[in-house]
Amino acid sequence: MTLAVLVQLRTEQYGYTLRKALADDGLAIDEGTLYPLLRRLESQGLLVSQWREEDKRNKRFYRLSRTGEQILKQLLDEWQGINSSLDRILQEAGRI
Amino acid sequence: MSKSSTPRELLSRYLQAVRFWLPRSRTQEDLLAELGEDLRSQIEEKETELGRPLDEKEVSDVLKRCGSPMLVAARLGPKGYLIGPTLFPIYTFVLKMVLLWILVPVFLFIVGPVNVASAGGRWGDAWANTLGDLWSGLFVAAGIITLVFAVLERTHAPSWSSKWDPLKLPPLQRPERRTSLVQTVCDMAFSYFGLIWLLLLPHYPILILGPAKAFLKLSPFWHSFYVPILLLTLVALLRSTITLVRPQWDWFPLSAQLVQTAFTLILLNFMIHVAGQTHNAGWHPFVILADSARNSLQYARVVAIVNVSILLGLISAWLAMCIAALVQCWQLMRYLRRRNPGAQQPAHST
Repeated sequence: MTLAVLVQLRTEQYGYTLRKALADDGLAIDEGTLYPLLRRLESQGLLVSQWREEDKRNKRFYRLSRTGEQILKQLLDEWQGINSSLDRILQEAGRI
Repeated sequence: MSKSSTPRELLSRYLQAVRFWLPRSRTQEDLLAELGEDLRSQIEEKETELGRPLDEKEVSDVLKRCGSPMLVAARLGPKGYLIGPTLFPIYTFVLKMVLLWILVPVFLFIVGPVNVASAGGRWGDAWANTLGDLWSGLFVAAGIITLVFAVLERTHAPSWSSKWDPLKLPPLQRPERRTSLVQTVCDMAFSYFGLIWLLLLPHYPILILGPAKAFLKLSPFWHSFYVPILLLTLVALLRSTITLVRPQWDWFPLSAQLVQTAFTLILLNFMIHVAGQTHNAGWHPFVILADSARNSLQYARVVAIVNVSILLGLISAWLAMCIAALVQCWQLMRYLRRRNPGAQQPAHST
């Protein structure tokens, strides 16, 4: 979930559009889970946020920080490594 | 009670209810504002989809899907717990030890019998009071322990989790040498009862003399040996308690039992020796005639028989203890040999 949020926030979004984008990609996530996660990632320095007015309403926009970009790269490498391992394991299991 | 309100007002009421349950913090208002914005966006999207403003029922559906204010606040707020995962295993261990292995036995084997003995025949009332006190005691103890651990959680837990040392872990348990739990608990219960019986004895000689209390009384001989006997019972109690709480000390039960047997032997030896040295009228070292029966020839014969019986009993106990000491020595040596097999047969190792 963290990885999906970080990937989505490579482009700036506010909470609702982020949630919607994740749900459209098949990863529905409720408000009570997403907002604490965003705060945690921000406190870890992976995200930056700012309140801004849009359509006459105040919205909090999030995007990946520079540290976040580096961490995302590492996480994606790890994820791809795990995926490759799993693929190999599944292929070996399929052979048996 | 249903309150009629505009859809926007319903949303504000919802956020107000979430605010009530959300712990006060720097981020409280921030979180509420963000949640409010999310809900407003959901409502707005639905309105765009329908091409008209939502009514109260439809807004209510959006809020229902979000969850009850209490649940949403619990998800949004910081995750708090009274006792965390670092201390929780110690907490449950201490709770079990104090409640099950200390309070319950103390009330059943010490407080209960003392209450019964001092209740003047009202045994039912005495046990009811004891159980009532035990019930309250369990609650108070559990409350205090929880409070102490909650304080420790907030002051020491982070440092404890990093201070453990693998080298200080308890040694591997040897299941074949572990004393059985039932045996240890029985030992403990007998020691408790023995202790209570001994403590009550000076006030209630009937506990040892029975109906013979009418014409017999304990001699001053027992004044000298009362405290050592009491101490030995306490040692036995301590031994079974340590065996129970430190099952990994597999060396302890055998060694402690041997030490206790040795002290019992010394005490018995001394008692028999002192009894042999007694030179009162008619050799009555253990029990003497009560004042009311001093002139009775029949009772004089009884008191002589009782004294000889007690002496024979002491001698039998001494012999039994000698045999027990030999058996325990052999068991201890066998245990030590098993524990250090290399020392036993160094030549066969090549």
